[in-house]
Amino acid sequence: MDEQPALELRSVSKRYRLRDGGELAAVDSLSLEVRRGEIVALLGPNGAGKTTAMQLALGLLHADGGEARLFGGHPELLATRRRLGYAPDAPLFPKALTGLEVLALHGALLGFPRAEARTRAARFAEEVGIAEPARRKIATYSRGQQQRLGVALSLLGEPDLVLLDEPTAGLDPAGVAAMRELLAGLRAQNAAVLLNSHLLSEVERVCDRVLFIKGGRVLRTHDMRVQGRRLEIRLANAATMAARLPEVLAGATVAEDRVSVDVDAEALVPGIVRQLVEAGGEVLEVRLAGAELEELYLHIVEGQQ
Amino acid sequence: MTPIVSWPVARATASARLRSAGPWLIGLVFTIAGAVRAELHGGGTETFSGPSAIWFVLLTFGLGTAILSEEIESGHAQLVLLRPLTRAAWFGGRLAGACLALAVFCVTAWLATFVAAVARGYGFDPMRFPALVLGILWGCAWLSVLACLGAFMPGWTNAGALSAVVLAWIFLVGTIGLIRPQWVPILQEVTALLGPQNPLVLLDPVKPRRDFGPALYDLLWLFGPWLLGVAILNRRELARRRA
Repeated sequence: MDEQPALELRSVSKRYRLRDGGELAAVDSLSLEVRRGEIVALLGPNGAGKTTAMQLALGLLHADGGEARLFGGHPELLATRRRLGYAPDAPLFPKALTGLEVLALHGALLGFPRAEARTRAARFAEEVGIAEPARRKIATYSRGQQQRLGVALSLLGEPDLVLLDEPTAGLDPAGVAAMRELLAGLRAQNAAVLLNSHLLSEVERVCDRVLFIKGGRVLRTHDMRVQGRRLEIRLANAATMAARLPEVLAGATVAEDRVSVDVDAEALVPGIVRQLVEAGGEVLEVRLAGAELEELYLHIVEGQQ
Repeated sequence: MTPIVSWPVARATASARLRSAGPWLIGLVFTIAGAVRAELHGGGTETFSGPSAIWFVLLTFGLGTAILSEEIESGHAQLVLLRPLTRAAWFGGRLAGACLALAVFCVTAWLATFVAAVARGYGFDPMRFPALVLGILWGCAWLSVLACLGAFMPGWTNAGALSAVVLAWIFLVGTIGLIRPQWVPILQEVTALLGPQNPLVLLDPVKPRRDFGPALYDLLWLFGPWLLGVAILNRRELARRRA
């Protein structure tokens, strides 16, 4: 990993002036960093300040306090923008142009020769699953297709840093699965990704760190890699195994027909399952979940027990 | 050095403008109006004068309507401006794109007039070409004014407000002309200063002019509002980011 974070927010604050003369703290002393090869998610309720945080990082909004840096430099440096991809929530595009034309325009703005820009346009339209609609005028696109086009735009320059604001909003299940693959691909390319999503199951699957945000403040940072994941094993004979479980699997708990145990690494799963089977467990289903992000979310953000 | 025109933006703008039905319809009437008036001593000015001039102005205003606001309000401008280009280059690209689209319509209309003139047996007159250049310059100067207004006016109001001001001025001049006819020459002089001039007076076969005054004046109206528009856009965008 690079020493320098791809994205860094240092105690940034942003207040909006309200019509009644008051102020609203959209982001309050928020600090975060995203390094290359890392996928970080912002989780929080609507109005938590996630989009504002992204816009502050990009320089689309100026912070009242604190500092935003991309690759160690000012976000508005033109050289920095070459390394950047951003897909906003609910993007809109010129309706008279086709998706391929918009992609080619952005390719040309990134400095690619026209032929190369067109080739990339076709390639990324295909990668996000809009190869056919991309030939049509954007006026005919559905919300999901515009969303996919926005994601394709963010990936066009094969950036080192990608910011995705609700990229799965309006996508069908196939689109969500494709998005997951794209994110995995970005990690493989050593790109840094800052993701804003409400789809906890997807965040759980792909992210390395999660920042829970509310009222513009980071309530807690959860490291999915260090703090482990939960292994759930459904047993046909859970009731009979319950008594013997402490000696078979330390730290495991039983609820109904499920045995749950925290694991530090995916590689440990086969050994645990083998242990259970050897001890007489009749395994019906094995599921490696995240650290129960939904539970954490409800506990941290909504204050539920 | 940072370019003042983003040509990818200009191409995309021209492409989008040339696909709108409105400008095509007006452009068609503009072309026919010029061709119908083709004459021996017109020198190509028929395309941009008389009844054709009305369609030319309508076409120019149509192409300049919401020239910046449609991108700003849709949010696409935000995405474009996250690319390595300056706001000045984006502004220049939008303006240049509208000018390119206007040039396409002007060349078509001018060619139609030229062909009509030849078909009527007036022969080839090389002096028709300057009329095309001057006509495009005139239109581009108005587009620059519309772009400048678009830097701070929402939606189509840039063209709407400018049309209202132009019509109000024409009405005012007409009314004053009826009440005080002796003021008409002064008002005509003042009118010539309030916006781009029609540089085709340079090609007037009856009273030819040897100076380039109106053309230079239109160049001023092309670059002046352009510069002012960029300054306004920058100021407004920075204010929005700080708000």
